[in-house]
Amino acid sequence: MIRSIAQKELASTLRDRRFVVLSVLMLALLLAATLVGRASYRTLQRERQVAQQTVNDQFHHQPNRHPHRVAHYGSFAFRPKAGLSFLDAGLDSFTGTAVFLEAHQQNSVNFSQAQQASSLIRFGELTVAFVLQLLVPLLIIFLCFSAFAEEREAGTLKLLLTQGVSLRRIAWGKIAGYGQAVALVVLPALALAAWLLLSNESFANSPDAWARLALFGLSYVVYFFLWIVGAVVVSARQAHARTALVLLLGCWMLGGIILPKDTANLGANLFPAMTKAELDAKVHEDAQKGIDGHDPQDQRSAALKANLLKKYNVDSEEKLPVSVGGLVMAESEAYTAKVYQQHFATLNQTYEHQNALASWAGLLNPYQAIRPLSMGLAGSDFAHYVHFQQAAEAYRYQLVQRLNALQTSMGYGDKERKLDAATWRAIPTFTYESPALGWALSYLLVPTLALLLWAVGLSWLGLRAIDKTSIA
Amino acid sequence: MMSTFWILLRYEWRHFRAAKGLVLLTGLVLLVGLYGIYYGTTEIERQRQHLATLPTLAHHNVEELKKKFPGPADAGDIGYYHTTFAVHHPTEWASLALGQRDVNPYYVKLRLLGLQGQLYASENVNPTKVLSGNFDLAFVLVYLFPLLIIALSFNLLSSEKEQGILVLLLAQPVRPSVVVAAKLTLRLLLVLGLALLLSAVAIVWARVPLDGRVGLWLALVVLYCLFWFGVVAIVTALQRNSAFNAVALVGAWLVLVVLLPGLLNVYVEATRPVPQGLALTIKQREEIHGGWDKPKSETMNRFFALYPQWRDTATIRGRFVWRWYYAFQHLGDESVRPLVAAYTDGLRQRFDLVEQLAWVSPAINAQVSFSALAGTDLPTHLAFQQSATRYHDALRAFYYPYLFRKVAFTHDDYAKEPTHSFTSTSELGTATSGLGKLLLSVAVVWAAGLLLLQTRPLNPR
Repeated sequence: MIRSIAQKELASTLRDRRFVVLSVLMLALLLAATLVGRASYRTLQRERQVAQQTVNDQFHHQPNRHPHRVAHYGSFAFRPKAGLSFLDAGLDSFTGTAVFLEAHQQNSVNFSQAQQASSLIRFGELTVAFVLQLLVPLLIIFLCFSAFAEEREAGTLKLLLTQGVSLRRIAWGKIAGYGQAVALVVLPALALAAWLLLSNESFANSPDAWARLALFGLSYVVYFFLWIVGAVVVSARQAHARTALVLLLGCWMLGGIILPKDTANLGANLFPAMTKAELDAKVHEDAQKGIDGHDPQDQRSAALKANLLKKYNVDSEEKLPVSVGGLVMAESEAYTAKVYQQHFATLNQTYEHQNALASWAGLLNPYQAIRPLSMGLAGSDFAHYVHFQQAAEAYRYQLVQRLNALQTSMGYGDKERKLDAATWRAIPTFTYESPALGWALSYLLVPTLALLLWAVGLSWLGLRAIDKTSIA
Repeated sequence: MMSTFWILLRYEWRHFRAAKGLVLLTGLVLLVGLYGIYYGTTEIERQRQHLATLPTLAHHNVEELKKKFPGPADAGDIGYYHTTFAVHHPTEWASLALGQRDVNPYYVKLRLLGLQGQLYASENVNPTKVLSGNFDLAFVLVYLFPLLIIALSFNLLSSEKEQGILVLLLAQPVRPSVVVAAKLTLRLLLVLGLALLLSAVAIVWARVPLDGRVGLWLALVVLYCLFWFGVVAIVTALQRNSAFNAVALVGAWLVLVVLLPGLLNVYVEATRPVPQGLALTIKQREEIHGGWDKPKSETMNRFFALYPQWRDTATIRGRFVWRWYYAFQHLGDESVRPLVAAYTDGLRQRFDLVEQLAWVSPAINAQVSFSALAGTDLPTHLAFQQSATRYHDALRAFYYPYLFRKVAFTHDDYAKEPTHSFTSTSELGTATSGLGKLLLSVAVVWAAGLLLLQTRPLNPR
């Protein structure tokens, strides 16, 4: 019986010209978003690869230089786009692209796309994720709002019930039918995405990318399922199709537009973050005077020098086999890096506090559960961004310390000498390996849980409510 | 005739007051609007507070330098360690339309070094928050007011028809157009009243100076609301059922407020790429660090070609001299001058394209006009960057005599250093042309709506 109801719903949906027009539009939009996303992904990726290659070559082709010169010459890290970010650009447009890696300081990641755009970008970007998260639910609403109300108004609901089917089974039949209709719209786009992924060699052989795509698809299946169930339940509980429609549209607006902005803004108001200028000043202060204010830089250097003389049992710097300058640099780099790390940890913690409000709101609002889940799987969320930042910093630190070690080994009077150009070719350049799926999932527990809770809760409580609904 | 209109209007008002859902919704929009004003003003207030702490930070820096260099110092050392700020103060209007002020840095930390390595530093920003966007008054007006208008009027006639009231009503000696006019007028008054009230509260709260811009803002608000009522008039004139109306109106909202901006964004990014940002950073570094390896005379001659006034200064001998160092820092900036021009031109072109195509959607038009009026969009940021560039020029001009004439830098000289302050100005050209375009779209929808209402006789069933 469920199956024949589902077939009837699918058939009548496909016969409905309005739905066909809407679906074709939606499908066209999805396909266009996939292709546009892919094209912009390739442009950006190429831009960044070329830039990374250029700076890597430049690093390897430096002339004879003193290692500390090279440490100031530094390098750049360009953030590669994550493989699936063409489906969900997530935070990518709002996070920087390039960071300059040099001695003594940790620079900001600059040149975000949002900084290169007018305020038009704040209307939201047309990505696959946007269509799936906001527009498909709208399609579902238009599809399902009259599921029960229409049958009730036409009197066919009574006829159905006289066949001995329970309301709940009718509801499941309808859900299955609408589900198939929605699948017809969404599946071709996912197939196109898979095909595009396959056409890229580096991803075609990566099980990680496939697993991400599979989970990406799966989480949207759950998301659409709960919208369909929700819409059918509302349709059953409301006396008129009209009120069901208005109620559902209201939920869509509240959940999709007002709440996300509201929670994000409230979070930022409740937990103010430190500005860059303050952070820089604090880092400078702590590095100069010591983290606890009792360990100033000049004292640290003097102690280091005294220990060295003692260790090598000599009475002056000239007799040391190592360069004091290099060792002082190494010590101060280690200290400053520690200071930076402390302050960045505090800053990121503030951001996490700010975002916590929004991610817990996922329990109230499925849109705020699918959004972090989707961008997490696509590799474009905050955790992935921080991962890149930390990888760039780890590279910067080891590069600078390597150069400091080279300087140390030059011995006394290193400042008057240079190292051979071949030295720089032996130093590895920055490469970035984006984190694996398992790592990404560990940040996505709350949204996954929220989405599942919604799906289970709606199909259990919601359908129980349907049983009690009035027939006439 | 007029009296029937007033009777109908009064009746509609009572009807509205009795509909609890609608009153609740209107109250909710009022609250949401007030929250938007609160959010916008606190965000700008926080930026102002941050800007106010910068002089203190700069002062600490000077105190530290005075301790580090107790006597007359080499200006080269001071220029290297001394940090100062180029600051971008908001207009009072910024609280009403935050635009891109949270994405673009509103101050730049500067040293005497090459400018292009410093100018693009980002502020600490929580990307998740900026992705969600700002809940300011402009958002409430551009995004949410159309929804309020739709909710109030999607069943303007259809509900009366569906409940069978329209037949009874039209059995009286009333012209159908007067019925529609009365219903639309009440909703229009209600929505405009709310929009103007919120604007007035925001203007007082943000202490906006009362000049011509107030009129411009209010005109934009009124026209934008009128546009959506024009859309409602068109859909009402089609005389379909409530569900159709709701779908059609929400569809129009979706297309104009969500889809078209998204599409335009994609189009602008694809047709106006700006790869020069990354390119100029890389090139500038290469030039500056190449300076260490080039013969000093070559560097100085290139520098003197730009600044002949320092040509007669002493020839540089020795491993390191500050004026040589700052000369190649500046040559690094000079080498990327064409790239910088191409980059800022590219950004400017992006904005111009958006402005040109804003007519496709009154929502884009309103948003662009609001943020232009508030001076919070891309052109203002570019103007700030230009101003910061001029400030850096002034700093160099201040330090060069010390460096090239070998004048010692004393403690008194810190106070003589130039300081910077830039306040956004309203981009009135953009805002008024936006107003013109908005007027045009209002005229188009109302002409179409009135024509449809005239030509299609009202069918009461």
